[in-house]
Amino acid sequence: MLPFTFQIEDGLPVSDQLEQAVRKAIFTGQLADGDIFPSVRTLSQELRISPTTAHKVVAALRENGYLASRPGIGMVVRTPNLPERSKRIEYLQPLCRELLREAGDLHLEVEDVVEALRRAAKQPDGDRAAMKKSKP
Amino acid sequence: MKPIIEIRNLRKRFGRTVAVDDLTMDVPEGQVTAFLGPNGAGKTSTIKCLLNLLAPDAGEIRVLGADSSRLDSAAFRQIGYVSENQEMPLWMTVRQFLDYCRPMYPAWDQAFADLLLKQFDLPPGTKLKALSRGMRIKAALLSSLAYRPKLVVLDEPFSGLDPLVRDEFIRGMLEMTEQEGWSVFVSSHDIAEVERLADRVAIIHRGRLQLDEAAESLVARFRGIEVLLESEAATPGNPPANWLNLEISGRVARFTDSRYDERELDGAVKKNLPQARQWRALPMTLRDIFVALARTYRLNGSNQAAEGN
Repeated sequence: MLPFTFQIEDGLPVSDQLEQAVRKAIFTGQLADGDIFPSVRTLSQELRISPTTAHKVVAALRENGYLASRPGIGMVVRTPNLPERSKRIEYLQPLCRELLREAGDLHLEVEDVVEALRRAAKQPDGDRAAMKKSKP
Repeated sequence: MKPIIEIRNLRKRFGRTVAVDDLTMDVPEGQVTAFLGPNGAGKTSTIKCLLNLLAPDAGEIRVLGADSSRLDSAAFRQIGYVSENQEMPLWMTVRQFLDYCRPMYPAWDQAFADLLLKQFDLPPGTKLKALSRGMRIKAALLSSLAYRPKLVVLDEPFSGLDPLVRDEFIRGMLEMTEQEGWSVFVSSHDIAEVERLADRVAIIHRGRLQLDEAAESLVARFRGIEVLLESEAATPGNPPANWLNLEISGRVARFTDSRYDERELDGAVKKNLPQARQWRALPMTLRDIFVALARTYRLNGSNQAAEGN
């Protein structure tokens, strides 16, 4: 079993999805600083993905400071400073495009979508989405 | 990096049937290459030629740097091969079978064999002929991985396996992951079986290579396009060559773009479908791409449309 949530979706490169899932797990606290990160072999076996893909993802995460190698242990999780705001907003872009497409189908404008988001944030479980996440 | 398999102008015929027709391709080292095509496309003939189990009528093949027609036992010790119709000594028990294989391979790793035996849940004392098909193919895989080959060649390994066994098979195979330069060449008629595993996809149809490309670049250049039209329209007579399987139903036009570029497509849509109101591009899975290409091959029998450039 992998120590973070990951569900593969059709149509997007697995490597991008996996990288994003790990980043998300770090931000939500599923993975904490110093946790041992699964090896390339474990990732590849658990997800039935090519070792090359698994390797690529680990290398990218390491490059961006989310993983560090610790001799004798392997990779451990690092919680880097939150990326700058514009970068975090960038992560939301695919979801936003999806949302705007739905809105377009319903003949709604961007302002309507903003209102929809405000309404959603007022829902009982909406505060989770709008909750301020301090750095773990 | 040097390819682990190099195939040049391979031809193989059986009587009047041409099984492999001028096939040229490279299988890179350190990757999983999926060799796809419908049944009878020439996959097994190609694999048998490259393992020197069949003599080609023309062409050259190099495997691990050596001429495939002169593969010796030293080369075979670096190759693991599992095929759909593997011949196995059915009268032996699993344990006897492994004991029988071991002396042929100086690099046999008994600890690794034991690990796989456990992972595959194989009963050591049961005769091969009493095993299910899935169990038997797992035993075959075990005997081909235990000497840690550099190249693993799998010919339709998953056909007829239930999902659980297939899963175990792939998991077991991936135990080899950390081996330097480890390469896999796996044939299948069903891309779904290898979709997530493949770094590279080669498609063969009627003995000819139709496509050979990194999975990532395929996924990047293919999109399913849906166009909403102002009014019903006739299918344009001469759509761009990269628009595959164009169909119009009511006010919706649909096609597969094999060379997706947002700006270029916008111009092409306006030009070819003047009634277009808006369009959207949806990412495709390897399976969607495979199906779209298979339909194209069947329709025009050529590989022109599938070319990237």
